[in-house]
Amino acid sequence: MSIHPGTAAKRKAPDSAAPANPAKGRRRSPTRVNPALYLFPLPAVAVIAFFLVMPTLQAFQYAITDWNGFSAAFNYVGVDNFVRAFTKDSLFTNALTNNLKFVLLVVIAQTVFSLVLALLLTKNSRGSILLRALFFFPTILSSVSVAFIWKFIYDPNFGLANSVLRTVGVDGGAYLGNDAQALYWVAVTQVWFHSGQMMVVYIAGLQAIPKELYEAAEMDGANKWQQFKSITWPFVAPATSIVVAYTTVQSFKAFDLILGIAGNPPKSSLDILSTRIYSTFANSEFGYAAAQSIIFMAMIALVTWLQRRLLRLTPKGD
Amino acid sequence: MSQISRRQAMALLGALGLGASAAACAGPGGSTKPAGASGPAAPSAGAVTGKVSFAHWRGEDKAVFDELIKRFAAKHDGVEVAQDISTSNDYNAQALQKLRGGSIGDAFATFRGAQFKNFTEAGIYTELKDSQAVKNYQKGLLSAGQNGDSQLGLPYQVVFPMPMANLDLFDKAGAEIAPKNWDAFLAMCEKLASAGVIPISWPGGDVGNGGQLFNCMIANNAPVDDMCAQIEQGKLKCTDDWFIKMLNQYKDLKPFVQPNATGTAVEPAQNLFSQGKAAMLATGSYHLAAVRGLGAKFPIDLVFPNTTSDGKGKYEGAYNATFILGVNSASKNQAAAAAWIDFLSEPENAGYYANQTAQHVSVDKVEYTNPDLKRLSPWLQKKTALAARFQFNNLDVRNAVEASATAVISGTSPEQAAAAAQKIVDERL
Repeated sequence: MSIHPGTAAKRKAPDSAAPANPAKGRRRSPTRVNPALYLFPLPAVAVIAFFLVMPTLQAFQYAITDWNGFSAAFNYVGVDNFVRAFTKDSLFTNALTNNLKFVLLVVIAQTVFSLVLALLLTKNSRGSILLRALFFFPTILSSVSVAFIWKFIYDPNFGLANSVLRTVGVDGGAYLGNDAQALYWVAVTQVWFHSGQMMVVYIAGLQAIPKELYEAAEMDGANKWQQFKSITWPFVAPATSIVVAYTTVQSFKAFDLILGIAGNPPKSSLDILSTRIYSTFANSEFGYAAAQSIIFMAMIALVTWLQRRLLRLTPKGD
Repeated sequence: MSQISRRQAMALLGALGLGASAAACAGPGGSTKPAGASGPAAPSAGAVTGKVSFAHWRGEDKAVFDELIKRFAAKHDGVEVAQDISTSNDYNAQALQKLRGGSIGDAFATFRGAQFKNFTEAGIYTELKDSQAVKNYQKGLLSAGQNGDSQLGLPYQVVFPMPMANLDLFDKAGAEIAPKNWDAFLAMCEKLASAGVIPISWPGGDVGNGGQLFNCMIANNAPVDDMCAQIEQGKLKCTDDWFIKMLNQYKDLKPFVQPNATGTAVEPAQNLFSQGKAAMLATGSYHLAAVRGLGAKFPIDLVFPNTTSDGKGKYEGAYNATFILGVNSASKNQAAAAAWIDFLSEPENAGYYANQTAQHVSVDKVEYTNPDLKRLSPWLQKKTALAARFQFNNLDVRNAVEASATAVISGTSPEQAAAAAQKIVDERL
């Protein structure tokens, strides 16, 4: 770093016009901040450094080792863990495929379902408020409770789903026991669990749309679909953006729901990235689990970015 | 207070960041040192006093341990034992990390197999070879807690991972309780099905419990006793004839398990059995207390699915010695922890534990008063195979190999299921 000689000279040269008592005479600039104030964020910086920065940096370091999680000895393996994840580990690629499928299913179903609910319940009538509370209710439950409730519903022997079907003479199915369908049934649970929450986001967006726009559209002869397409959808774009991004992250991290509903470890048809990372960790492959975690993090970032690019949900100017 | 300059403040924050980065970049590894060449040390001696944390996964045994803790505290003034209980899955995944610091789990239990091996490698165990406790155990049942010449843990429980049978339903159907070979076993299932009951309740939707049947099915099919270890090492393959034969036998069972068995969790499977809708529960004797708790009043015995064609199999059943008790090498109260293990290993206390929890123990000279344990006690003398699934050290391999059986029951061909399992094994060689 270089210092301009003139600046240094200015700093060193005593100001002949300065009064004898600097504390009394020196005028403080109104924009000048007391340097001691810079210490105030110190506790927050320390917390972030120790609980966020440090573990993240450590994850990157572990990811290039073969550390088993407890041994004092380990080897640096470069990018081998990352290569292994994509080329030599069908359990990981299976979990990745399952997860992407799960995200796609849930994002589409949950966005549509919560928007439909919001459209039906936008008005602040007593009935609407009651129904909103009812649909929001699953959100306040813990995911483990939800998992156990739905585990019971899906049980082929004593479960609610098959019991209802039997009353109308239908045999029902294995639900979670059917590898081809299991992921779809868990997606149904996930949508049931979080749609109420997303509905509230949409209702807030819908209630902010000026009524005059609809009145003007009606006067112009626009039907309901045209009103939705030209007014509602563009105006709820910011809400949709939030719903899609939140649902994506939520679906990537449906760890506790899957573990509660499918057991630990889940069978391969229900294994998603977070449960796979946990299994790898439990299998004493700490370094490899760290590499999988970094891929997981990158995947969430990539999918969220792609969604925003492809769906163009942010209105111009935002 | 003297003021600091902006530059100083930034330097301080920068130093903090650098410190965090440097700390983050410190190499992995922990405080617990692995056993050196001289082997692990015995628990340190001293006064039996202070707090002892006892880490395990048997939440269902909490009340029984509470009573034993009371008795232990009455014997040793000033000692306090607290149970640190996790679910079995969490315990399997996290116990090692939790115990390494020594603040939790002065005394602890481990599963046989991968967990015991990892704990051994991490140097968590102390040497119990010369302890008072070890003298109380049946010698033949101690191997699961040994590593070379060291006796690191004491396998406390003896369980039989074999189908439990409702003897009333067997009598009613006229089915043979001890089939001599595979055809006889299938004939027995056929009789039970003809009597209008589900022959086998199998929790195929629960990896841990559904996999117990594997111990019986593989015992007499495999060419060697360490078959699962050899599969993991690549010496034996899931695509070998003997393994395909075993999967074909799983296929034979398909008509005799409850409908949609691969979607059945363990609790509904227990219910089918305890309500008398199913004649067998294909998990193991460790579920005796649970099915009694669900209201099962009928007499219960065990059935071994003998997979041989001529009845000349090497084994008559399967057993597992687990809940391996140990003293934490990182514990600051090893004397009291060791005394607690000694106390649990006394025949009187082990007997109390066994009879209250309906599980056999490895401790010698225990009197079984529980009617179920009494009835099952002859199995302790039979030639039973040590449960093979716990030979797997890699849980992904174990799950993949066992999943091949589940896949067959759900309709996949044995050859396809075996090939899928072998692919995962090969990736981990």
